[in-house]
Amino acid sequence: MTVRGRDAMLSPLQYALRDVKADEAELWVRRRRSAISRYAKNEIHQNAVADETHVQARVVVAKAVGIASANSLDPADLRRLVADATAAARESAANDDWPGLTAPAPMPEAQAYDAETARADARSQADAIKRITAAAKERGFRAAGTHQIELNEDALANTNGAAAYAPGTMAYLRALVTSESGTGWAEDLGWSARSLDPSDVAARAIEKAALDRDRMQLPPGDYEAVFEELAVAEVLRFMSLTGLTGETVKDGRSFMAGKFGEQVTGPRFSLWDDALDGRTLAIPFDVEGTPKQRVTLVEGGVAKGVVYDRQSARWFDTRSTGHAADPRRYSVGGHAGNLTMAGGDAKRDQLIRATRRGLLITRFHYTNTPDPKRAAMTGTTRDGTFLIENGRITRALANVRYTMSALDLFSGIELLGPQRLARDWWSSNGMGSIVCLCPPIKVARATITGSSPI
Amino acid sequence: MPYRDSQLADLVDLGARRGASYADARRVEREYEAVSVRDGEVESVTRSGDRGIGFRVLHHGAWGFAATDRTEDMSLRSVVDEAFARAEAAAGTRAAPVALAQVAPQRGEYRTTLLRDPFAVPLADRIALLRSADANLKGPHAVSRRGSVAAYRTRKHLVTSEGTDVRQEIVESGAGLSVTAVKAGAKPAQRYDSRLVRQAGWEFIDHLDLPGRAARYRDDAEAMLDAPLAAERPTTLVFTPEFLALLVHESCGHPTEADRVLEHEIAFAGTTFMWPTDRGTLRYGSEHVSMTADATVPGGMGTFGWDDDGVPAMRTKLIDRGTFVGYLTSRETAAALDLPVAIGSARAEGWQHFPIVRMVNVSLDPGTQRYDALLRGVDDGLLLEAPASYSLDNKRQNFHFSTQSARVIRNGALEGYARGVSFQSLTPAFWGRCDGVADDWELHGFLSCAKGEPLQLMRVGHGAAHARFRDVPIEVRG
Repeated sequence: MTVRGRDAMLSPLQYALRDVKADEAELWVRRRRSAISRYAKNEIHQNAVADETHVQARVVVAKAVGIASANSLDPADLRRLVADATAAARESAANDDWPGLTAPAPMPEAQAYDAETARADARSQADAIKRITAAAKERGFRAAGTHQIELNEDALANTNGAAAYAPGTMAYLRALVTSESGTGWAEDLGWSARSLDPSDVAARAIEKAALDRDRMQLPPGDYEAVFEELAVAEVLRFMSLTGLTGETVKDGRSFMAGKFGEQVTGPRFSLWDDALDGRTLAIPFDVEGTPKQRVTLVEGGVAKGVVYDRQSARWFDTRSTGHAADPRRYSVGGHAGNLTMAGGDAKRDQLIRATRRGLLITRFHYTNTPDPKRAAMTGTTRDGTFLIENGRITRALANVRYTMSALDLFSGIELLGPQRLARDWWSSNGMGSIVCLCPPIKVARATITGSSPI
Repeated sequence: MPYRDSQLADLVDLGARRGASYADARRVEREYEAVSVRDGEVESVTRSGDRGIGFRVLHHGAWGFAATDRTEDMSLRSVVDEAFARAEAAAGTRAAPVALAQVAPQRGEYRTTLLRDPFAVPLADRIALLRSADANLKGPHAVSRRGSVAAYRTRKHLVTSEGTDVRQEIVESGAGLSVTAVKAGAKPAQRYDSRLVRQAGWEFIDHLDLPGRAARYRDDAEAMLDAPLAAERPTTLVFTPEFLALLVHESCGHPTEADRVLEHEIAFAGTTFMWPTDRGTLRYGSEHVSMTADATVPGGMGTFGWDDDGVPAMRTKLIDRGTFVGYLTSRETAAALDLPVAIGSARAEGWQHFPIVRMVNVSLDPGTQRYDALLRGVDDGLLLEAPASYSLDNKRQNFHFSTQSARVIRNGALEGYARGVSFQSLTPAFWGRCDGVADDWELHGFLSCAKGEPLQLMRVGHGAAHARFRDVPIEVRG
């Protein structure tokens, strides 16, 4: 994969903005080159690479905003794009709350980029998959999953003189191993392909698949529980979407609304958004060109703050925290997409040993929120749900349906393990943009509301 | 760099010369225009477009795919190299080569039938319509109101090494409305619909009557603020076609996708509970429940001339009077399941995507009784109007839905609202409770059915009529 670089990405934008006939104008571009190998039943069944460029122009005329997007950095195409956005602005109506485009600001360096990862080829992806499928076959199991390498380059320029460029890489490897009776899941995620360990991913998935036999159904009720990192990331997703943005507070939909400074969940729960943490996947500025800031959201269970883009900052007469989101995915109002949850030093075995009777949850599937105001989540578990009795995993369980408020779940945190990079089911499948550094946890109470058949 | 009409044929020829057993090239050009009004003010006017070429080869028995938005010759040569490199890397993992169900070479054009091009409607008219709808969303407790209209155009040209050469131009029109009402001491109420979309021109937007619809949404949201909690007990539920469209999508459309049977989606979307050995025997629902996949329905969001394998649009039964009988298939999945023909369900969101098995228009077949007759058969029940949260397991066997608004049915008539209603069920158990489907069948459209990696958001259509389900255990949460 060839990196185009700062000049190739930024110069066309700056050139196209030279003669704009409008009050303000901005060009933001994201180039994404995604190489993805999907495998099932120990074979690669889809093997694709796509290189795409998305350019968005925002043009402002008398506080009316026009937006146009295309997929070319060719000068003629950019001229047409700016003209389209200008025409849209002229036909639009004024936004009296328009906050203006961002001013130039010092930009943090990109940390989530690795040149070697950007150069990974189809052969290296297939080799990693072969290591997993060979290990699965050795046990008589079959493996499925994904190996993905992604190169992103973001650039932004506006008529205020703001200019920013950053590259980023993402490497992701997941394995779902199926035995005669059950399934097991493991994955690695990072901004470098060096953070992927196919043998370890295979071993972890195989261990769970081997344990997943003779399933029993768990009756609905409240149980102690160990949530592994992927399961915790799933719960955090709903906190982010329902409660951690200026827009949700403005609309009164957030669990934080009217509660700042108050205890909203348990004292062992702290959460912040920090795209500048060197371990996470991030571009250091948002789609408006504002440098991303670390924002404390919840500290010791006390509601502290939310994230803002320029529009929601205007509503609250404050400054953007650098959390404007890709408008193709999220609405105006801010987006908390680099969550870090405070962890601890408890090892996985300790979490299990601390459980008298409860369950271990590896991950969830297709979750949703029946009660956004309480950041409630419902979803079924998959690929590793086990009964824990007297500090030991004793049985495999049929997948269960979990339904509970995140605030109630985190009120019951008893132990925390070390943080790990993880994404919820939606984000790991491209339907969201939330990356979490989060720990596995042991909680006093998780509410199970149903069970799938054995 | 301008697009040359012969580029696709050149790519396919090059693929064949380099030894591919099959090659196709697909150029897609998309346009989108939307206007959004929030709280009476224009929030955004958005225009977007993209274009590019995807190239797919079957080489050494494995697929390779590469796509680019740069269409100059050097980039296209690189696309061919990359597609072959990916096929060769995949081939080293395969025990058996990919096979394709046969299809005769296709030639022709397909265009959406429409009365008024939605892109030609003056922006001022669109804004005026949305402001008129916004005024009707405004209730005493409304804190957030949004409305939008959108127009979509897709031009697609597919050329294959087997002689297929087909062009399509598809135009869609859509709208969205939402209102959030908040009142001290009450749970916030939201009423919205983002699935008001059809393969049609602006005449569909006129047909929607957005101002009238907005008034209904406002009334629903305000009423839900003060509504009493429903009683938690097994209840007769009547569903609107809008609600059932989503239930059909999630609990029938997805589990009949053949790639789930082959575990192609096991690590993301999941598998199924409807296996090949179950065809013709699995009791999916009651005798009132029949479901059909049909890519020929006029106006359907899953309607087209040919799928992205070049298979012509067709109609096939999935559920016949309660029994599971058919799958949605691509050429690859049909061959793998030893089915005689692919039913034309290979679809890719854009030029940058590999075609995978997707729904077309998957619908609940209409019944014979009138809606009011269906309602008269309910002494004490609920009408669920529109879905809110929904969550499904990886086999589409266990699901949970909640509702934006529920109307109380007493002695066959609607009276007042109830809140807090959700239900979870196993799929066959739920459809097995259906004891009547009305004859008021209507079509709904979805813009963003999510599947595939990288993610592909697909347009699909679903038809349904009001239907009644007996003794459904419901959950009630305040």
